[in-house]
Amino acid sequence: MLKRSIPLIALAATALLGSCARNADRPFVVASVSDVSSLDPHLLDVNHPTGSVIWSLFDSLVRRGPDGADLPRLAATWERRDDLTWRFHLRHDVKFQDGSPFTAADVKFSVDRMNQPPFSALQQLWAQTTLREARVIDDYTIDLVTERPSVTMLYWLEEAFIAPQAYYSTHDQAYLNTHPLGSGPYQLTEWVPGDHVTLRANASYFNGVPAIKDVIFKVVPDLSARLNGLATGDIDLALELTPDTIAQANTAHSRGVEALGLRKLHFGIAQHSSLAALKDARVRQALNYAIDVPTMIKTLMHGSTSALTSVVNPPNSDPSLAPYGYHPDRARALLAAAGYPNGFDLDIDFTPMWGQDKDVSETVAGYLQAVGIRPHLHADEWNDFRRKLSDQAFDGLFYAGWAALISPSVELVIFTCHQEDNASGYCDPKYDQLVHAASTEYDDGKRKALTDVAQKIVWEQAYWIFLWRAPLYAGLSNRIDYQLRPDDYVEIYLAKPRS
Amino acid sequence: MLRFTLGKLVRTLSVLLGVSFLTFIIGHSSGDPVLLIVRGDATAQQKAELRHSLGLDRPVIEQYLSYLGNAVHGDLGTSYRQRVNVSRLIALRLPNSLELAGTAFLAAMTIGFALGMIAALNRGRVLDHAIAAFSVVGQVVPGFWLGMILVLVFAVHWPLLPVSGYGDLAHLILPAVTLAIPTLGRMTRLVRAGMLDVLSSDYIRTARAKGLTERQVLLHHASKNALLPLITQAGLELGDMVGSAFIIETVFAWPGIGRMTVNAVQQRDFLVVQGCVLVTAAGFVLINLAVDLLYAVIDPRVRARG
Repeated sequence: MLKRSIPLIALAATALLGSCARNADRPFVVASVSDVSSLDPHLLDVNHPTGSVIWSLFDSLVRRGPDGADLPRLAATWERRDDLTWRFHLRHDVKFQDGSPFTAADVKFSVDRMNQPPFSALQQLWAQTTLREARVIDDYTIDLVTERPSVTMLYWLEEAFIAPQAYYSTHDQAYLNTHPLGSGPYQLTEWVPGDHVTLRANASYFNGVPAIKDVIFKVVPDLSARLNGLATGDIDLALELTPDTIAQANTAHSRGVEALGLRKLHFGIAQHSSLAALKDARVRQALNYAIDVPTMIKTLMHGSTSALTSVVNPPNSDPSLAPYGYHPDRARALLAAAGYPNGFDLDIDFTPMWGQDKDVSETVAGYLQAVGIRPHLHADEWNDFRRKLSDQAFDGLFYAGWAALISPSVELVIFTCHQEDNASGYCDPKYDQLVHAASTEYDDGKRKALTDVAQKIVWEQAYWIFLWRAPLYAGLSNRIDYQLRPDDYVEIYLAKPRS
Repeated sequence: MLRFTLGKLVRTLSVLLGVSFLTFIIGHSSGDPVLLIVRGDATAQQKAELRHSLGLDRPVIEQYLSYLGNAVHGDLGTSYRQRVNVSRLIALRLPNSLELAGTAFLAAMTIGFALGMIAALNRGRVLDHAIAAFSVVGQVVPGFWLGMILVLVFAVHWPLLPVSGYGDLAHLILPAVTLAIPTLGRMTRLVRAGMLDVLSSDYIRTARAKGLTERQVLLHHASKNALLPLITQAGLELGDMVGSAFIIETVFAWPGIGRMTVNAVQQRDFLVVQGCVLVTAAGFVLINLAVDLLYAVIDPRVRARG
């Protein structure tokens, strides 16, 4: 009898040990849907989880604050010497995690590396800032020279991570993908692809040792598994929860947290469509008037966001713009005035990428039907949808999210002629001129005037069906204080244990 | 026997070749991985550079032949997405899948066999009906639902076992039970049916007539013969468990090869898909080969038919 009970006793003991370990000083566990793709800082492809881990391991010259502010990091100060030259004064006290000192040569090496394939396919610094050269002035001073004035230099530098030249020029790519070496607040302990990444605080970090010592980024693809982990205290930060599950994150160990993300959800309106109606601004305005955005926010989005008022995020949005509002009569009148009193057939494509895609698309289809349009819904697999975005192959509306960023010049660029991600295919030379003038205008007042006019064009011409800013939903352990960043990055360095 | 074995081996290899070719062609005609790697605003030139550096700008047949050439030397290529060697990714994941499937398989076989025997010996009684009900329910309950219920009961309500993840023995219990139950149900029913069949045969009557105890009849005469038809089914079940554990692996965040394959398909990470399919297919084919050979050893009639 005793012999037979041994496995049972062992099982009970394991379970007990397991629950004891839970109460001890254990790592901060972040649960995400997917795995990091590479730990090479110049292969950063998405903000989370790859970006979140890279941000912990590496530093950039300038760091982006959660509110979009430009904070000094490896660069202590900077100035513009003329319209085409930015000068950065580097910190003297920074060491990489192998103890080697950080100098301007490492900056030049990293910046140059970003301009070579395969890194150049993912890195925007050169293309977006018209960078021409990184010039080392002395060990702690570097100049970045551009072809045209670039108001987004600091913005793109915030995603340009500095890697030590000696290490990155002597190891092969396969090794570098899995063995990162940076100067950041954390260092890599272990990466088991498909399962987890373990980080440990960098005890000699120049900017102050992180409050959270051990971190595990875990892959937990199933939503209910993430919620269960919160309930048992195994997970400290469960990301990518949904509006209808956020309440379940309130458990004995954890609480649900929300933040207003930067991504703007909308329906793109294809201009290269076989459907002439969509080229008529009155029709596009009618599409906006036909949809009851506030009701959708209340019923589908847990009330946690508000209607868009511009294609540009606050604080740079033009305050004179206001939501279209729900006016189905006005929509019908505009459709009639444009020559479509009996509506038309309209394709609507959606893909599971930006959340609630099916619910939102079906609801919008219902509203459009109510004003006489005949919608046809198409659920696309992400690869197919991505191809249609890239080839401008949509024929009607497509549900999408645009740009988790705060920078009018970068946000407005989506509607300029022949821009790569201009999936709708708008092309108005007057608009292009405004956007290009703004991206090279250093004077804040003049630039704001230019971007306000451009925003007004987008709004009044109804380039999109404007919906809302994507809310972020997560579950957070009661032992931690952390504010979700609106740009999706999880910056563990900013998390603190609760006293 | 040698000719039989060689014939089977040749067939096995041609199946693998066919599988790899089909996977490659279907994969490449289903989408462009470059679009899924670059950011939305990458220029056409950036995309072209990446396509070139990944070797995706060559004709598909050329890509396939060079892949095949490397694969023969054990090099399965590099993941487009993670830029890690595919063999290494598989080597990391496959043992986890085998651990899970192996545990579930052993549990399903032993418990299934025992339950089937008990049911057969208690034919028509309450115990038989109870076991039949259990095995039918086990077969039809969807794995993801069963997994979630088990987690809710044994990990959330009574925190005895971990919610999910890979780790010590405790982490293995819930996913293995979830994976084992449908197979357990099928095995129980097969064993019961096989046992009843055997028990009504002449040689069992003879054995009983010789005056053997019921225990000897069951263990030495009946069970061995009832076991035979199970070998085929067992082989299929094992192959199935390794390859199709995707849902269980997702529910329990188990880093196995099933989840890796599905992720790779979604990301059009062709070489990873290729490697996973090849390894899974090889597992399937080898198990079948083993079953065939085992049959031939046990039953000479199979050998004669070739």
